[in-house]
Amino acid sequence: MKRYSDLEYLRLSKLQKFLYRLESFFCSIPVAVWHTIKKLGLAIWSFIKGIGLGIAEVVTTFKNGSKPTRLSYVIMGAGCFAHGQILRGILFLLFEIVFIFYMVTTGAYWLSMLPSLGKLGPTKDYNVILDVYTTHYHDNSFKILLYGVLTIFFIIAFIYTWWVNIRQSKTAEQILASGKKLKSGRDDLRSLVDDSFHKTLLALPMTGILVFTVMPIVFMMLVAFTNYDGAHNGYSNNLFHWVGLDNFNTMLSWTSNTSSGAQSYAATFGEVLTWTLIWAFFATFTNYFLGMMVAMAINKKGIRFKKGWRTILVMTIAIPQFISLLYVSKMFAKNGLINNFLIDMKWIDTALPFFEKASWARVTVILINIWIGIPYLMLTATGILMNIPQDLYESARIDGASGWQQYSKITLPYMLFVTGPYLLTQFTGNMNNFNVIFLLTGGAPNNPAASNSAGTVGYTDLLITWLYKITMGAESQYYLASVVGIMVFVVVALITLVAYSLLPSIKNEEDFQ
Amino acid sequence: MSDVKVQKAMKQHMGLTASRRISNTAIYIVLTVMSVIWLIPFICIVLQSFRVESTWQVGYVIPRQWGWNNYVNLANTDFWRWYTNTFVLAILTAILQTVIVLCMSYTLSRFRFKMRKPLMKFMLVLGLFPGMMTMIILYRVLADLGLTQKNSIPGLLLVYVASSGMGYYVSKGFFDTISKSLDEAARVDGANRFKVLVKIILPLSKPIVIYTVLTAFMGPWGDFVFARYISMGTSAGKNVAVGMYDWLSQDQIGKNYTMFCAGGVLVALPVTILFLFLQRYYVEGITGGAVKG
Amino acid sequence: MKKLISLVLALVMLAGVAAVGEGFAASYDITVWVAEEIKELTAQQIEAFNSSNQYGIKFNATIEAVSEAVAADNMVNDVEAGGDIFCFPQDQFARLVKAGALSKLGVAASEKVTAENAAGVVAAAKSGDSLYAYPLTADNGYFLFYDKSVIPEEDIDSLEALIADCEAAQKYFAFEMQTSSWYLASFFFGTGCVSEWTTDDAGTFISVRDTFNSPEGLIAVKGMEKLVKSPFHLSSSKADSFESNAAVVVTGIWDYELAKQILGDNLGVSDLPSFTVDGEEYHIGSFNGCKLMGVKPSNDAYRQAALHFLAQYLTGEECQMQRFNAKSWGPSNLVAQASEEVQANPGLAALLKQAPYSVPQGQIHGSWWGIAQVIADDVKLATDEAGLQAALDNYQAKIEELFTLDNTALLFVGAWNGWNNADTDKTYYLASKGDGTYALTFDVPESGYMGGRVVNPGSWDTDKGFAQVTEGADLIQDLGADNPDNNIVFAAPGNYTITWDGEAFSIVKN
Repeated sequence: MKRYSDLEYLRLSKLQKFLYRLESFFCSIPVAVWHTIKKLGLAIWSFIKGIGLGIAEVVTTFKNGSKPTRLSYVIMGAGCFAHGQILRGILFLLFEIVFIFYMVTTGAYWLSMLPSLGKLGPTKDYNVILDVYTTHYHDNSFKILLYGVLTIFFIIAFIYTWWVNIRQSKTAEQILASGKKLKSGRDDLRSLVDDSFHKTLLALPMTGILVFTVMPIVFMMLVAFTNYDGAHNGYSNNLFHWVGLDNFNTMLSWTSNTSSGAQSYAATFGEVLTWTLIWAFFATFTNYFLGMMVAMAINKKGIRFKKGWRTILVMTIAIPQFISLLYVSKMFAKNGLINNFLIDMKWIDTALPFFEKASWARVTVILINIWIGIPYLMLTATGILMNIPQDLYESARIDGASGWQQYSKITLPYMLFVTGPYLLTQFTGNMNNFNVIFLLTGGAPNNPAASNSAGTVGYTDLLITWLYKITMGAESQYYLASVVGIMVFVVVALITLVAYSLLPSIKNEEDFQ
Repeated sequence: MSDVKVQKAMKQHMGLTASRRISNTAIYIVLTVMSVIWLIPFICIVLQSFRVESTWQVGYVIPRQWGWNNYVNLANTDFWRWYTNTFVLAILTAILQTVIVLCMSYTLSRFRFKMRKPLMKFMLVLGLFPGMMTMIILYRVLADLGLTQKNSIPGLLLVYVASSGMGYYVSKGFFDTISKSLDEAARVDGANRFKVLVKIILPLSKPIVIYTVLTAFMGPWGDFVFARYISMGTSAGKNVAVGMYDWLSQDQIGKNYTMFCAGGVLVALPVTILFLFLQRYYVEGITGGAVKG
Repeated sequence: MKKLISLVLALVMLAGVAAVGEGFAASYDITVWVAEEIKELTAQQIEAFNSSNQYGIKFNATIEAVSEAVAADNMVNDVEAGGDIFCFPQDQFARLVKAGALSKLGVAASEKVTAENAAGVVAAAKSGDSLYAYPLTADNGYFLFYDKSVIPEEDIDSLEALIADCEAAQKYFAFEMQTSSWYLASFFFGTGCVSEWTTDDAGTFISVRDTFNSPEGLIAVKGMEKLVKSPFHLSSSKADSFESNAAVVVTGIWDYELAKQILGDNLGVSDLPSFTVDGEEYHIGSFNGCKLMGVKPSNDAYRQAALHFLAQYLTGEECQMQRFNAKSWGPSNLVAQASEEVQANPGLAALLKQAPYSVPQGQIHGSWWGIAQVIADDVKLATDEAGLQAALDNYQAKIEELFTLDNTALLFVGAWNGWNNADTDKTYYLASKGDGTYALTFDVPESGYMGGRVVNPGSWDTDKGFAQVTEGADLIQDLGADNPDNNIVFAAPGNYTITWDGEAFSIVKN
């Protein structure tokens, strides 16, 4: 595209300026994506390099190290003991003992089973005397995968700790050699509330995240490479096994069934994805602008009962959605309150197809979502509007700016600037807005053309509700759900990356402090 | 000042107030209409909960016969057990989750250490995975720990609290707005990091603490997908959403619909009351935080 | 042979029960999942069992209200944590067998259940030749509920008249078409179409005879078209629709009490109406289904046997009658069905009137429900006959897709996969190594007959088996004349790799 200098830009007409900005926005997307990929590549490269350097360091340290340092290659904490850091030494040693004990007792078993995910499924027996069938359970693919992954996590943690143990011994020697004193156990403890206070604060939250977020995600990604489903549940019927990239092949195959006119899997995915994006766009921006307007209306000078208006709107937040949304969905049903009321008033002859036709259903869910979303936005916007320096408006008024001009020149840009990241989280949040769709339509109406293997897909299904249906459906195709989950991640990640590289307000974190 | 000028100024003034009056009237009308739309579902639910003449869904709103029957009948079900479950769960979640979130966000806002940026990026990436995906595995982990079925309330608490560190975003934004010079002054005076947090930062952070408590408290009341999966049909381990959701199943809706509405009103009560009293802090918290992150 | 086994078993049991009777005398903690409305009744029934059974079994039962559909989902999610005894609708049966969530009935129990219950219901509890569940009810069918103040008596036999009455009165005709294949199939059954599925002993579907895409099917969708294109058609099967403007609701006996409460004396019930296409009348059919009770598998024989006794008792005549008296659950037990009270129940009478047009539900593939469900949507969108035909074509193609077999592949069919030659799962397929040879590494589990042979999926060829083994003959048994199908029969269980080069096999034990 043609780039204008500042002077040329100023000479353009309003429309041209707008078009120019729009164009440059879209042109910068590929660049942003490229930058991100480059960054990612660099990060991976430096990670590999880091590991290489770590290994090299381990080797050279062994060559040049003192006896205690060398001993700590085998007995962790040996270096610390030798240098009088008893507390650290005990911790290192304890960790090593626990690790070895775990690996010998159970870890080795899980690791050895990981490649096959189990050898023997359940077996049945017939007890002649009691005339009864019994079932004996043996391997459990699910547990093998789960504990296999945990064991690998544990091994990585061990290797890291082992490396730290060697390094500390080495640095301790250097410090001693330079004639300084080492930190005592008491110093270590004291630093936990001072210099290393961040480690204390982060320990618990990060452990939680590691065990209950990271590990499950890793696990579910691995499931995408197995045939784990209702017919292979890994325990009570058949074991499941690794299948390589088979599931991704199914998911990404474009060959449609020509005789039935049914879409290919990829086409169905594309359709659901498109609607998910449309939904996220409208759900985010209708709420954003309408919520802002409501906030401005309530905050306008001379409007009374500000708190009262706010409270009324906020009640939608306070009542759980499974109550309010289920009720609202009943209201909009073909024989629901709204249709019956309109018919009784003779305004319409036959019921409006709120949830019956694809386009109607889509518009209806977006409209109902406004009802849910405005209160949140109203609250957020209220605070931000109060933060806008009032003198900006004063001087604008003196210059004779109209209400609209004040809005478009001051309020909106300010809002957009400070809420950029918030908008982005709203967008990705809406892409995964399970409750609204699940409770309002359950995905209905059906999409007859959807791919067979995709299960029942509706026109209002988002990727996330589809994922739920795949998981809970007749065939319980966990492996496909996990492929869809990965795809959702890829899409959302792409959007986030692009947005982050384009949004102005994220870059200068320190500016605000 | 000449008369003409005075008259002109007066006219202008009157014109201004007139136009303001018109626009304010318009705003009042819009707000009133909105309030009605926003309140209709709630009013309907409340009215249904007092209906005595029938227990199923009906095509009219105002009960023909009023009474407390539906509320009284709740005592014949496990409702109060589920309610207590959820209430205890919500309080514990609110306390623990707030501690975790504040630890996390305070650290990321105030400390500059090597892994800080990568950590934040890592959590951003984690947040992009659809949570639904991990439901099955979380169930299995909890089942292995014996925290499903009748023990699912502690199980839910564990999962809610353990993964809450990811929601540091808003409160980090709030801490970012508190000037760093305060910390530095205190540090110069010899206070350690821990003292700075307790003595200086926390007293200034009332809005964000209340905001975090409030959002954490609200969460458990509405969880019916994951909580249902964890409780696996055991009544003792259900939260109020899971228990009540079953009343809408095909075989129960005719008998339990008005009771569902009564239960719904009771569920909404604690959260609504909290909101009424703490709304101001909620607004301050969310604006302090979400405005920038 | 089977008869002989059962005779021997009966004798052993007679001798055995006396000897092992004491083995039962223990208290078992169990969990029972039943629908909310029979929770208390079931508790009483278990008490009665505790005090009356001859073995001294005492159950300490925790009874949870878990609706039938949810129970099946929960069992599939985690069999280990499931209820020891649970109830489920029959459409979940094959899925539960497949998930390994049901424990097979013993010989004596099978015989008793088969003799005492209606044949259609027994078939619903069977996978292959094996019974896996106890019949609980036989009333899972649907019929016509209508508001007598809107619909004149003489119109209830004609779909067209019913639609016209509803439109004239601006009232809804509720018949769940868009969201439930269970109701939607009724039009097809009305014109004689079938969808019959077969499962093997392990709950895997192996074949289907489906005639929905046929001239009769086209007539059915033409009838359906009349209904779904009416602005006063409501896709619902809930009796409370009567409260919000419905005059006709097609639903089942479970809604009878509710409908009675809403409409009072204005409630009428009858069999489903007929529709007319090209001057020919077709009576709308229906599914005739049931609810079943299952026992979760476990490895403790005594406990398992005790649970089976309890399930048998809970589904016996006495308990079925108690459920009928308390909650109008239609019994499956033949004696109970014949009792006067049951015969006199108005809801069951309507169901009985519909019975000649109903089809026993049998076993139906889990995916069928989703596939058939869109027919009504397709029909609603269709503008001409070609559109209707396209809906059926679409349906058929999707059904066929379920059984697409790669009939050039090589499948090692045998005891390890339950002799399923229609196995779409690749676990026992020989994989091409790229040089013209095919190999499979797999486990042979311990069993009485550890045999099988390589076939093209779907066929039962006998040309790739024992006679073709050139290497590793010491690992397999030579059964001579006892091996007419040319099977490879392993001598011992273990992990084997079998390689096929187009003409001969080599077998290696790992």
